[in-house]
Amino acid sequence: MLKWLMLMGALASTASAATLTVVTHDSFDLDKALVAKFEREHDAKVRFVKAGDAGAMLSRLILTKNAPIGDVVFGLDNSLLPRAREAGILEPYKSSALANVPAKLHLDPSGLLTTVDYGYVALNYDKAWFEKKKLPLPKTLEDLATARYENLVVVQNPATSSPGLAFLLATVRHFGEDRALKWWSDMRAGGMKITRGWNDAYYTDFTRNGGKYPIVLSYASSPAAEVFYATKKLGDSPTANLLLPGSSFLQLEGVGVLKGTAHRELARAFVDFLLSPAVQADIPTRMWVYPARSGLKLADVYRFAQEPRDATSNVNGAASLVDRFTRTVMRAGR
Amino acid sequence: MTESRRALLAAPFLALLAAFLIAPLLRTLAEGGVSVGLLRDPYFQSRLVWTFGGATLSAVLAALVGVPLAWGLAGYRVRGASFLLRALLLPFVTPTLVAAMGLTALVGPRGWLKLDLSETPAIVVLGNLFFNLPLVVRLSHAAFSRVPSELEASARSLGASPLRAFARVTLPLAAPGLLAGVVLVFLYSALSFGLPYLLGGERYATLEVEVYALALLEGRLSEASALVAVQLVVTTPALLAYLRLARSTPLGVATRLPHRSAPLAVRLVLAAFLGFTLLVCFGPLVAVAAKSLLGPDGLTLAFWSGVASSDDPPLSFLLLNTVRFGVLTLIAAVALGVAFSLAAARSNVLDFVSLAPLVVSPVSLGVGFLLLYPRLLAELPLLVAAYVLLSTPLVVRSLLPALRDVPRGLLDLARTLGATPGQVLRRVTFPLVLPALRGGAALALAATFGEFAATLVLSRPEWATLSLGVAEKLSRPGERNLGEACALATLLMGLALAGFAALDGGRGDVT
Repeated sequence: MLKWLMLMGALASTASAATLTVVTHDSFDLDKALVAKFEREHDAKVRFVKAGDAGAMLSRLILTKNAPIGDVVFGLDNSLLPRAREAGILEPYKSSALANVPAKLHLDPSGLLTTVDYGYVALNYDKAWFEKKKLPLPKTLEDLATARYENLVVVQNPATSSPGLAFLLATVRHFGEDRALKWWSDMRAGGMKITRGWNDAYYTDFTRNGGKYPIVLSYASSPAAEVFYATKKLGDSPTANLLLPGSSFLQLEGVGVLKGTAHRELARAFVDFLLSPAVQADIPTRMWVYPARSGLKLADVYRFAQEPRDATSNVNGAASLVDRFTRTVMRAGR
Repeated sequence: MTESRRALLAAPFLALLAAFLIAPLLRTLAEGGVSVGLLRDPYFQSRLVWTFGGATLSAVLAALVGVPLAWGLAGYRVRGASFLLRALLLPFVTPTLVAAMGLTALVGPRGWLKLDLSETPAIVVLGNLFFNLPLVVRLSHAAFSRVPSELEASARSLGASPLRAFARVTLPLAAPGLLAGVVLVFLYSALSFGLPYLLGGERYATLEVEVYALALLEGRLSEASALVAVQLVVTTPALLAYLRLARSTPLGVATRLPHRSAPLAVRLVLAAFLGFTLLVCFGPLVAVAAKSLLGPDGLTLAFWSGVASSDDPPLSFLLLNTVRFGVLTLIAAVALGVAFSLAAARSNVLDFVSLAPLVVSPVSLGVGFLLLYPRLLAELPLLVAAYVLLSTPLVVRSLLPALRDVPRGLLDLARTLGATPGQVLRRVTFPLVLPALRGGAALALAATFGEFAATLVLSRPEWATLSLGVAEKLSRPGERNLGEACALATLLMGLALAGFAALDGGRGDVT
């Protein structure tokens, strides 16, 4: 009888527990035990919904803003924030946990997005390929555009991919808009391949994986991931960062409360939860980005990753820039 | 069958179409309006030309290779023919990302064939052939099999040469069926999304890829709608042509049993076509399986043991979900498909309607789902509805011709002997159409495994399937991720093959 009552009690409590829907991009991953702990502490259920990569996720949130598909969104970054702000899909929340995040990593003064992690978009190169060809590495972006480095680079399209956009923004910060677009056109004329997304660039075009381009636009942490996911213990990474001045972008990834949520308190608690030390410590070797919270020790494998010093996080005018890019670089001459 | 009973049988599938196809499509077109100005842009004009030109080329090539091969398989005794026809369904279930990896492994920059086709239209056309050549072979095989062998034999005994008998008797009778297959390849290629997205780069993107980029990445819905409208303007007449052809295929159950062995010359030609088909349709799959066993230092089981020992999520979880969604969809698709086919057997309009899910832009449907059913998006019923929507037409396609071929006389005879309509259906019609139904069910299962619907709705981690597992692995850098993705993909192919063997019974009579 007691067992029976307990069972009924358990059923009743699951029925009454609120369900928090967290919209994420496809690469989101978090230790299940941590999520279970959050659920216990808040007597709630957390449901994750994956909505494509970050750009597609934002479009889906904008299309459904009158009937939001979730309560919280994780995975919008500084390059997407202007569009999200303009569309009015987020509501502000200033988490007290932000006190542990260095000010230079803060995403938005009004609290529409709270930084959870950060990473760097950077060029990677195939070390073995350059050694075999005895080709010295380029020193600058201008250098990379010379005939010597023709047909060696694969990057993603800024209009369809977030690392692509990040790279475009970095070059604009470095060159100024006109010269940056000229650089892209020159590079394209010199055989730079522009793919739609990260995984086709990395897994079909990069020389490491059977492609023909030894320089790929990826993340500064990718060489560390290569070591982590190697089949045998490696003393060194087969890839490395090519940190040309003006080529790296600081991507700040955040969590925000969706406007129209029916579970505001729970949503806010989830924002705080993502900044808790346990979650922050879980992030680096799961999603291959740095935790926003300062003072956490990184896994040893991160010695193969670098933090570029000159990376920009400036995204002013991104929307009109992409339009101009598409017109002048992608659709020109055909 | 009375009008009211026919309406009752057709209703469930029609309701599904109205809710999950027509309404979302209209909603998408209504949301942003259709801004046709985009079509004056030379960039989009060149996209248009490439999309339909590439689709035409794919269809023609598929016919040139697929039809002769199917003729040989139908007309001569070829060992392992039924296994081949069954295995030809494998490309159909292959997740696009896996197909792209396999093709790159074969004809990429460091491909095993030493022929680098990357960044050329050829690799996209090869990709279309990979997915669609099997369709032409199977459809043409069915068409040739339906031509009664006595007819050709009579022509021969009346003095016609083998070539003449073929050209004047067999070919005209099989032609509509053959052409129907070709039109279907055109339709599929013209609307294909995944392969040109991955392999076409930005130079050989199709309209559907542009629709995706405009609608879901750039937020320019009205321009996306203009492209969707262009697609409809081209695909609707093609669809009508397909139906005309499919309906004018001669009656007659697949009775022709090949018993002759082929003469040497024929054998050589057949071998060449077979070789090409095997290379295009299975080469990429073999390459992926091989990659799951090849580490940096040669053969290794590391990727397989990595997949087997993973606990987040465990392999059993992925397997179970794949099978669960497959079976759920199969049951619903067969139930809806059988009911609808019975209703559509004597109706052109219903026949046309049943094909609609195959020719409407999946991306625009996805956008329509977002606009119409935001609350339902992450619910299981919508996911299953999307799967059912895409796999039911495949059941109908297989079943309809068989139903129409059931001789009227036989049914009337059963009636006059006192059988009730229900008994006629159970005892006469059903046994006759069973092979076709099994074939259609195999295709439906294939469609689910291949997860066409996954891009339409949102996914939840607890629904992770084998093909989502593959995509997940490929979203992180590192050799182990690549190897394990290949291992999961290989497993998916094995599962699919087992499913076909169980369902299709090896007849390969799928139209």
